[in-house]
Amino acid sequence: MASILVSSSEKFSGKSSVCMGLGKILRDRGHVVGYMKPIGNLLIDVHGSLTDEDAEGIKSMLGLDDPTKTITPIHLTDSLIDDALIGVKKDLDERLMEAYSTISEGKDVVIIEGTGGIGGGAMYNLSDPEIASKIGTRMLLVTRFDSIYAVDRILCDLRIIQDPNILAGVILNEVPADMMERVTELVVPFLEKKGIKVFGVIPQDKTLRSVPISEIVEGLRAEILVGTESLEEFVDNYLVGAMEAGSAIKYFRRLPNTAVITGGDRADIQMAAIETRVKCLILTGNMLPSGAVLASAEEAGIPVILVRSDTMTTIERMEQLIGHAHIKQQVKLDRIVELLESNVDLRSIAASMDLEF
Amino acid sequence: MLERMFDPNGVAVIGASRKEGKVGRAVLENLMANGIENIVPVNPNDGEILGLRAYKGILDVPKEKKVDLAVIVIPAKFVPEAIDQCGRAGIANVVVISAGFKEAGVEGARLERECLEICQKYGVRMVGPNCLGIIDTGSGLNATFAANMAHKGNIALMSQSGAICTVALDWADRTNVGFSKFVSLGNKADLDENDFLEFFENDNSTAVISAYLEGVKNGPDFIKIAQSVTRSKPVIIVKSGRTSVGSRAVSSHTGTLAGSDAAYDAAFRQSGVIRADSLIEMLDLSRAFSAYPLPKGRNIAIVTNAGGLGILTADACSSAGLNIASFEESTINELRGTLPPAANLYDPVDVLGDASADVYAHALETVLADNNVDGIILLVSPQAMTEVTEIAEKIVDIIRDSEKPILCNLAGGTRVSEGEATLQKNGIPNYPSLERAVTSMDALCTYYSIKDRKHSSPQQISVDKSATDAIIKDAVSNKNRILGLESMDILSSYGIKVVDSRIVKTLPEAVGVSEEIGYPVVMKIVSSDISHKTDVGGIRLNLRHADDVERAYNSMMSDVHRYMPEARIAGVQVQKMVSGGKEVIIGMNRDPQFGPLLMFGLGGTYVEFLKDVSFSVAPVSTDEAKHMVSSIKTYPLIAGVRGEAPSDINSIIDALIRISQLVTDFPEILEFEINPLMVMQDGQGCVAMDVRFTIDVK
Repeated sequence: MASILVSSSEKFSGKSSVCMGLGKILRDRGHVVGYMKPIGNLLIDVHGSLTDEDAEGIKSMLGLDDPTKTITPIHLTDSLIDDALIGVKKDLDERLMEAYSTISEGKDVVIIEGTGGIGGGAMYNLSDPEIASKIGTRMLLVTRFDSIYAVDRILCDLRIIQDPNILAGVILNEVPADMMERVTELVVPFLEKKGIKVFGVIPQDKTLRSVPISEIVEGLRAEILVGTESLEEFVDNYLVGAMEAGSAIKYFRRLPNTAVITGGDRADIQMAAIETRVKCLILTGNMLPSGAVLASAEEAGIPVILVRSDTMTTIERMEQLIGHAHIKQQVKLDRIVELLESNVDLRSIAASMDLEF
Repeated sequence: MLERMFDPNGVAVIGASRKEGKVGRAVLENLMANGIENIVPVNPNDGEILGLRAYKGILDVPKEKKVDLAVIVIPAKFVPEAIDQCGRAGIANVVVISAGFKEAGVEGARLERECLEICQKYGVRMVGPNCLGIIDTGSGLNATFAANMAHKGNIALMSQSGAICTVALDWADRTNVGFSKFVSLGNKADLDENDFLEFFENDNSTAVISAYLEGVKNGPDFIKIAQSVTRSKPVIIVKSGRTSVGSRAVSSHTGTLAGSDAAYDAAFRQSGVIRADSLIEMLDLSRAFSAYPLPKGRNIAIVTNAGGLGILTADACSSAGLNIASFEESTINELRGTLPPAANLYDPVDVLGDASADVYAHALETVLADNNVDGIILLVSPQAMTEVTEIAEKIVDIIRDSEKPILCNLAGGTRVSEGEATLQKNGIPNYPSLERAVTSMDALCTYYSIKDRKHSSPQQISVDKSATDAIIKDAVSNKNRILGLESMDILSSYGIKVVDSRIVKTLPEAVGVSEEIGYPVVMKIVSSDISHKTDVGGIRLNLRHADDVERAYNSMMSDVHRYMPEARIAGVQVQKMVSGGKEVIIGMNRDPQFGPLLMFGLGGTYVEFLKDVSFSVAPVSTDEAKHMVSSIKTYPLIAGVRGEAPSDINSIIDALIRISQLVTDFPEILEFEINPLMVMQDGQGCVAMDVRFTIDVK
């Protein structure tokens, strides 16, 4: 059976997306695919049992039957950390191995997702490289290429991994359009010269960073005033409307797929947002807008949602929502598959784990 | 088309009521009080209302009632059905007084759309909904629930606020001002200001058109229509929502965007509309146009019995741009012969405090006969020996027969009230303050030039439209909303000279291009994420050799990364350094109401602070472009001060016309700015140094 551990240089690198996309592609090629995220760090309660949010998402998007407990055998709780620090024996290695062998049964390939960053879990001897060597698999490193200094991170990661044979290769993810040329012409040859296989360079993609309005409604615990039919539209950006209407129009025109956050009493900003056809209006402070404004929003098909929190708090929550959205929509999964297929050497990844492709 | 709306053969009141205090009763009573013959109450409980036979539904009303106007005063949810029945009954005009439509929210807006669709289906025209109603003093139609009926007159007034209609009616009642037509526009679902402007233009009973508006529904049409109407009749508009808080209230009230006040100012000026600053000013100006002949120039004589009032008036005239007349010799001789020695014989003429009614009247007639005088402001102060009432009586005939406007300010309170009443009884306004008299005089004089103006249409210049088309199509397909230095070719294709420049990606390229272009050069960061390059260290000037270029390149990249780490950098533009010119700015912002609003001002770093800019709605004619350039306060700096050589103003005008054509040709351009446009000395043209577009990529 083939397997690979998908690790990352930093949080929010797109690791889960790669796992999900890779899983889908391999399954479509006729393989029986298994997935696990041995250490759950984004704990959520699903039907009365604790699990990891990413793992739960992938399980449902890929339609996996394995029990949640096996997919994520270890939960990174405060007590687990305390025990690790005190030195209480928790038999974590055994739990890991047992779950891995259960998952492996009847599978052609198992994709293992790492925890947060590459070194996470070192305090209880389960950092990503340690897990990889324990279960005898190689690592695929996903690095978000937010600046040229990502190269430093990759080289550092290689030093953490110690055994260069464990690293199958890297994917450079979310590369901004203006850096693309530099990355393909300078960075890739440089890394390859250092003996690091670069499987692919994936450009930054709006669809993946975007979040549907329905998730904003949920994330902000908002009330929908009008526009229920447009809740599955995606938002890429948010802007705060606190200027006069003339400037607001200019500001709103500059960014696509925007949600505008403003007060319920700012009818001028609300109308500027409607006029410039933003994706969604988020009204803060639980102040209802005027009937005439609501009517205009409804006519334009723009959802207006009302939140109790003030603008500052709403901005903080939006910051969490946009760019960190978990993949829950088929549209996004399709997009991931598309990006992987057109930018990543999938054949080489398969070959690195001796899997037919 | 709307004639029958105002002069119907028969009027139905759908929702007529016999109950005191109901709108349906007030409307019926108003109709009955003013001599409309066929009035038909419609009410589910038929029988009689106020002695008139009532019908259950509009379809039950017999044909011989000749109903061609229905006034609807029933709850909003029943209105669509009522309009549908009107349509089926062949009634072409409805006035929907009922509220509860878009102003009330989503459900109301749905009803409003439904009403409009039904109107369109049958060809019914609708005033309102959510309005006070309409009045025509000529036909005696009062289809409102207002407490007053208007007096007969020649002012047509429309208002987007029903309450303001009642204020105007009550004010007019006290000041004896008459109206021809009166329209409360309401939500303007169907008929709006443009329809009524067109209608009033051809309405013989109307000489003056005035309006209170919170916005216009179709800006470009408004400009076209108003341009025509203002040539035959003065149009005075007070537009609310001028300030940020005001526009917020407009949006909240109407669910529309108030639009920029600069755009309204420009659109009104370009179309010859006189903009009043307040409600009372709108009424004052309307009354002035209604009561007086137009002056043929701006030379004003002031006749007063108080030196102080005369001086204040002279100041006010001067501030308004009115001239104080220089009298002919014969006028001065005549005044010398009739006025006491201490009197002032030159403008302002001071007849002194003890002047009798006869002396006043004679002085007035003398000044009136002077060929250098286009209009007169007559001031009376109530001194102990002043015969205010007698003076008023004496001057009434002179004012009425005069071919020049004579505006009166009987100043004071109790002691002038009888004189004031005398004037008003004779249809002559008494302005409560000299300033208001001067403002009205200014409007009368200004309209004289509006009426006679020649409208020159924008010229079409031959340009390479296809080159721009390709750039914009490319931006749209790549979803590039912001175009910067890389889009300078758009300007070239429209015949605007741009600075010699190249975009490079690396330092060696930058040095190479600098050597090629020739030192000194300027370097600018190219990034659609950076709108203020100076703020992030994205501009380096006056680089004289390769070392300069290298230092500037490295420090600029470091600065930009530090101040805007998220910015996407497309490269660096190397420009030939241009010096010796004046920096101006040409911009455009697509206004939600009026479309492309061109902006011109002095450029450079201080432009946002100085705010010395002029605006015009594109497309602009050569005259309009000239006006834009010459109307900024700092115009003398461009024209040349203290012996400085003038800048090439013609080249700015040419650039404005080309930009006007560009933004008219491409509605995809939402915003645009050349900052700076470097204007060289007269005859040497101008060069665009930097540009930025916002494109509508859908």
